[in-house]
Amino acid sequence: MPRARRLQGWLLALPAAVWLLLFFALPILILGAYSLMPRGIYGGVERGFTLEHYRRFFDPLYLAILLRTVVAALACTVICLLLGYPVAYAIARAGKWKNLLLFLVVLPFWTSVLVRTFAMIFLLRDTGLINTLLISTGIIAKPLTLLYTSGAVMAGLVYTFLPFMVLPIYASLEKHDRTLLEAAAVLGARPARGFLRVTLPLSAPGVVAGSLLVFIPALGSFLPSDLLGGAKEVLIGNLVQNQFTAARNWPFGSAASFVVMFGVLVGVAIYLRGGPDAGTRTRDL
Amino acid sequence: MSHQSRVAGRGLSRRDFLESASSALSASSALSALSALSACRPKDGGPPASGSGPLERELAIYNWSDYIGETTIADFERETGVRVTYDTYESNEDLIAKLQAGATGYDIVVPSGYAVRVLRALDLIQPIDRSALTGQWANLDPRFLGTPVDPDNQFTVPWQWGSAGLAVRTDLVKESLDSWGVFQDPGLRGKMTQLDDMRDVIGAWLKFRGHSLNSIITAELEQARADAIQAKPNLKSYVSAPVKAQLIAGDVWVAHLWNGDTAQARAANPAIEFVLPKEGSMIYLDSLCIPRGARSPRAAHAFMNFVLRADQAASISRRTGYGSPNAAALAADASLLGPPTPQEMTRLEYQDDLGAATTEWDRVWTEIKSA
Amino acid sequence: MSPWRPWRRRETTGTNRWLAAYVALVLLFLHLPLLILMAFSFNASRFSVEWTGFTLAWFRGLADRPDILSGLRNTLVVGVTSTVISTSLGTMLALALSRYRFRGRRAMESLLYVPLVTPEIVVGISLLVLFAAVGVRLGIATIVIAHVAFSISFVTVVVQARLAGMDRHLEEAAMTLGAGPWRSFRRVTLPLILPGVVAGALLAFTLSFDDYVITSFVAGSGSSTLPVVIYGMVRRNIDPTVNAVSTVVLLLTTILIYLSDRYARAR
Repeated sequence: MPRARRLQGWLLALPAAVWLLLFFALPILILGAYSLMPRGIYGGVERGFTLEHYRRFFDPLYLAILLRTVVAALACTVICLLLGYPVAYAIARAGKWKNLLLFLVVLPFWTSVLVRTFAMIFLLRDTGLINTLLISTGIIAKPLTLLYTSGAVMAGLVYTFLPFMVLPIYASLEKHDRTLLEAAAVLGARPARGFLRVTLPLSAPGVVAGSLLVFIPALGSFLPSDLLGGAKEVLIGNLVQNQFTAARNWPFGSAASFVVMFGVLVGVAIYLRGGPDAGTRTRDL
Repeated sequence: MSHQSRVAGRGLSRRDFLESASSALSASSALSALSALSACRPKDGGPPASGSGPLERELAIYNWSDYIGETTIADFERETGVRVTYDTYESNEDLIAKLQAGATGYDIVVPSGYAVRVLRALDLIQPIDRSALTGQWANLDPRFLGTPVDPDNQFTVPWQWGSAGLAVRTDLVKESLDSWGVFQDPGLRGKMTQLDDMRDVIGAWLKFRGHSLNSIITAELEQARADAIQAKPNLKSYVSAPVKAQLIAGDVWVAHLWNGDTAQARAANPAIEFVLPKEGSMIYLDSLCIPRGARSPRAAHAFMNFVLRADQAASISRRTGYGSPNAAALAADASLLGPPTPQEMTRLEYQDDLGAATTEWDRVWTEIKSA
Repeated sequence: MSPWRPWRRRETTGTNRWLAAYVALVLLFLHLPLLILMAFSFNASRFSVEWTGFTLAWFRGLADRPDILSGLRNTLVVGVTSTVISTSLGTMLALALSRYRFRGRRAMESLLYVPLVTPEIVVGISLLVLFAAVGVRLGIATIVIAHVAFSISFVTVVVQARLAGMDRHLEEAAMTLGAGPWRSFRRVTLPLILPGVVAGALLAFTLSFDDYVITSFVAGSGSSTLPVVIYGMVRRNIDPTVNAVSTVVLLLTTILIYLSDRYARAR
């Protein structure tokens, strides 16, 4: 039985493993090799071996960019959690409205990200909808500077990643039996207490998954800072993007990505080994 | 369209020439290291594809977005019966990476000058059969022929050219502007933008101090960085294409912008004018090329011949707002003569490839952005 | 529909009202930009600056844009194919990782997070290099391969979250009662994890439908997807035709979802 089970598990994992190895790990390894080679003048790399690109990255200029990126991604994750958890909770409890609400959360993402970003520009700019409304109602006299600020960048980041938080939390909340809460209530627990003691711990795996799905891609995003921040700041995503285009420095772009990827993988390993792992740990039959 | 490091070689100094020669050499070694990419590259130079004979039924064009006449494709399809597949890209680097990958299926691509140099060095484009183009070739303005990246126009058919300057809301800005220095004027704080493009911004500040916009001299770059950082607090943002709507709305009064985009904005608000700064600015030339392994070389030549016609060339420039290298088109429609005007063109300098110095430029750019 | 629960009623109605208001606000944040965009698709101005009058011209203009139609077709083909593949593979992987112990499980778990960490442009460039090495012709197939590669992880993570801590006695009971593994999966496990699978599939389809950076590297002649076409259209000018396309896509999906919801409920 254990051997058969092991084989079964292995077979279940095999197709995805092959796909990821062939079409993800392998190409990434090629770029990993590039990060150790001299820059090719027309893009790509030249023959040779160098640690120059990694050395270059550990320069205050680039480390400051890295730090700013991590702070922004963390802030984005926290805001998404604050905005997304109640939404996920409401959807999971919404009964017959469940599908409709779920759909309303993902619908905006079926338009191009660029189009959505431009729509936000319409909203935020000096003569945009928000300023026009505030001025016409007499709340303010002169337009507020909303566009091309760090607030606009954060709004764009949150806008981009919110469903990545809502969907996993919803998936983990939805399975919980309402009867548990009711049992708690019968036993005299007030709703707030029932939520803290029952619902929240049960949804922990969803929160963990959602945080990862938001934090990690947010580290690499570049459109919000370019278009809503007015490109007056550089995040890691912009830096990497630039290395593969205008700067034509593939190895440096690869090296920068690899530093971030390594940091994230180590961080995730530590994060998952901590508390919430209790929820995801495998029990063997 | 992002004009990131668009370059057309012209007026090259000897230093530039040596540099480009050495870059060509290192390109081939870069490619051999990328054995991955060289695997599907044709091995020999090969003869030019024949441009005459019955046309193939399909033609695949790969062009910058929003960079063709309104009816160019439809007219060509109707006239020749060839079915056109049209895809777009956003930077020369996208194009180069795609062609290096081999089997893309494109028959016509539109690289900028420096990208032509790269594509030739990598043997990714093939010679053109000029005998198939004799009818219309004379329409081209000789000033745009024989650029150093292709001295005999063996590989390229000039398509469109452009420049950058100041797009000014003349109804909102009272003083008359004529210098890149306007961005350092705190009186216009928050009403100005510069392009989100390393080559354009640093290049403009180099010009401001009377240097070449292809400078690789560290002291000059340091000065440009200082100038750019001094201007930064006055800027609303670094922004490229989307600035047009804000110019029209009056959120932005002075924008560092390309002439074609300015022309498009001007069509909606005639108070927007293009000013070429007295210190000078950049120029680039984009050309039609046929990639190696193109499956429809005869249809590609037919297309080139078609867009060389004065009426077609004029309709392309009317739509894009960019300059036409087609003298016959300009003769037929004087509204296409600038800006920049033919007189102002003496103040323009072709962007060239920066070679190894690209890395230094990139650092300066990152420092400006992080300041 | 809900059973009578007098002991919860008084305290929760107030909370529910606040919760509903909060959710409405978040949804407004998500949808306000879209509403503006839809409004501008009926605006006569070419630059979407101010309202200059009502027009349907941008919608009529769609008919003259074969690139948009073929882009939409390519996007749907790629989206559906890659969602089916990545949802199947991702769900299997999630089951394997949370239910079984096998050699290489830890390595597999780490491998899973690599696609989440990798900047899109790195994914795009590296896949292009790989496809070039093998000599594959760029087209729909290469786009599907890429999309599956970056979606699997998202699906797996979401399904895993659903599986975590789920009661397994039902499955065990089914197995004990003589149901084979496939039968117990289909009858017991699948219905239990279905919301997770659906959420994962939605995410995968959304990612595929919206991807520009990676697709732009692995697409070949004639296989440009809608985001690639749209990106080209908005890079230089916010062409109102783009607003019209987005409006059409949004309306079509809304109608489609509404109908399928009705159908599902009728059954």
